[in-house]
Amino acid sequence: MNGTNGMNNLRTALIIYRKEIVDALRDRRTLLTVLISSVLMGPAVLVAISALVATFESRAELREVYVVGIEHAPSLKNFFERQTYTVKAAPADFEAQLRKAGLADPVVVIPKDFEAALLRGDAPIVEVVVDSANQRSQAGAGRIERLLNGFGRERAALTLALRGVSVDVLEPLQVEDRDLASTQTRATQITGMLPYFVMMAVLYGALNAALDTTAGERERGSLEPLLMNPLDRWVLVLGKWAAVASVGMLIAVLSSLSFLPGQWMLRSDTLAAMFQYGLREASLFLVVLLPFAAAVSAVLMAVAIRCRSFKEAQASATVVMLAASLLPLINVFSLGSESPWYLWVPALAQNVLMTHVLKGEPLSAMQIGVPLAVCIALTAAGVWFIARTLRSAAVR
Amino acid sequence: MITIEHLAKQFSAPGPAKKGLGALAQLGRGGPPRIVHAVSDVSFDAPDGCITGLLGPNGAGKTTTLRMLAGLITPDAGRMSVDGIDVVSQPGPALARMGVLSDARGLYPRLTARENIVYYGRLQGMSADAANARAEQLSHMLEMDALLDRRTDGFSQGERMKTALARALVHDPSNIVLDEPTNGLDVLATRALRDSLRWLRSPQGGSKCIVFSTHIMQEVERLCDGVVVVSHGRTVACGTVGDLLAQAGETDFEEAFVRLAFSADERAHHEVAGPPA
Repeated sequence: MNGTNGMNNLRTALIIYRKEIVDALRDRRTLLTVLISSVLMGPAVLVAISALVATFESRAELREVYVVGIEHAPSLKNFFERQTYTVKAAPADFEAQLRKAGLADPVVVIPKDFEAALLRGDAPIVEVVVDSANQRSQAGAGRIERLLNGFGRERAALTLALRGVSVDVLEPLQVEDRDLASTQTRATQITGMLPYFVMMAVLYGALNAALDTTAGERERGSLEPLLMNPLDRWVLVLGKWAAVASVGMLIAVLSSLSFLPGQWMLRSDTLAAMFQYGLREASLFLVVLLPFAAAVSAVLMAVAIRCRSFKEAQASATVVMLAASLLPLINVFSLGSESPWYLWVPALAQNVLMTHVLKGEPLSAMQIGVPLAVCIALTAAGVWFIARTLRSAAVR
Repeated sequence: MITIEHLAKQFSAPGPAKKGLGALAQLGRGGPPRIVHAVSDVSFDAPDGCITGLLGPNGAGKTTTLRMLAGLITPDAGRMSVDGIDVVSQPGPALARMGVLSDARGLYPRLTARENIVYYGRLQGMSADAANARAEQLSHMLEMDALLDRRTDGFSQGERMKTALARALVHDPSNIVLDEPTNGLDVLATRALRDSLRWLRSPQGGSKCIVFSTHIMQEVERLCDGVVVVSHGRTVACGTVGDLLAQAGETDFEEAFVRLAFSADERAHHEVAGPPA
């Protein structure tokens, strides 16, 4: 008897699940909005970042230097040309152009008495003009300063050589950089926001379906007749939750996979080399995201079931959405120093784990297990609450 | 057959809100709870092959009674049984024997009328084929063939009502419970509904037990075999239309109803207050 009951319940849950899925998929406009705004957002940002990096790289490859008053410094001009740089005269209104970000390169300003001062050994002041709000000019400043320092070192070396002193005196110590970060770790400085986008996609994907099957049913007046069918409310709630979670999971799968083609569109070779996102990373993302989608669906439904209308539910759901969008920022701002309790906080834990995945670090059983347990607990609590509230919600 | 004995239900509602700062201090707690006796003593028998009208003014407790019958609210006291099955202890089997058209009759706007009907059939344990066949049969009876494969978004009141009724009847229940079914229907739709109910009552239609609540006298006079007058949460009279007329000593049914449903005080109050200026 119990066995057939179980079978019947499972069949009923499937009927509810199928109806809810059909209903959600027919809501084309909402679904399309979610797909465009959330799923395509991540790759779009990735491509935008790569385009920005690519312009830095192409600027560097052009080897151009913008100068004001190059006629006062033939020796510097000679040095630039020997370094295979093209010297270009800066426009007269270069300051205004830099402020408006019309000019993408820093400008070198040379004083009138440059050569004379140099001969006297007076160290003439050469300005490198940038606008720090103009990111492209800022990025080129380092390159130009290194170039000018090179000129300075060459002059110093020549002067010393004339007096018979070894050039090594100038460099009593050697400085060498040794960067411990792997290429992937370095890339997370740029790609660190991707986990955030994926999580937002899952949240917004589940949101509409979650509100529609709870507050939406109440608002339409279809929850009361629905409960007049001979159903176990647990079966009803599980069927509905499974449908919402599936929608969230579908969005999770789509957005995790969307970075694969997104990666091919990277315009910067350096970034493409640093950002290694393959099937392994995509499947690890899903290991992290699928339980999250399940938990978020249950929580959103539990919040919405208490609301009489879709609009009221949207207002209440904002609290959940806000928490889920702010918690990951703890990880983003703490810059690497990671506490063990992070794993116990939903949304934050997922962000931490996905960042690890992007860095190419392996995930331990503990790192996967703790957030999974939290998600299961949240789901169970949400489903329990909905089942408990359902009947009174229908008649209120 | 539906039997209801001494049904009672009270709710606690938040009391009258204070004004000014007092209201702020009360936030989230509400005032001192006020007990509302929605239903205090409702009893009636609705036999098979009969249409039983539950007649009462607004707020008399009709909807609460029917919600308790549909298992949505647990009663504080009393017994309800459907074909001898107790609703409170065995809600599943009792609901399987009832088709309820409740006060709330929302449809799923993105599903077609057929999908709406078949969904409920499946939830009642029917196979997909059986539910489909039944949907077509009901659509024929309710004259809604043209609507069947349209999405219910944008249906008129009457079209919605037909779909909701077909949905409630999909599992061919022997007991049919309707809460103010003619609300918002025009004359033709009301007539069509009356014809359908008469047919369902007849032996060819299955000799169903039909209970419906209303506050419209003409409905009751034209349709009902038995009338239960409910007022202030109590059954105040029951019998045929003729019985009630005799009991009240009136020839006009509306007069009889007013005499039975309201106390002398209430009637006097209404007469003194008169129509609003």
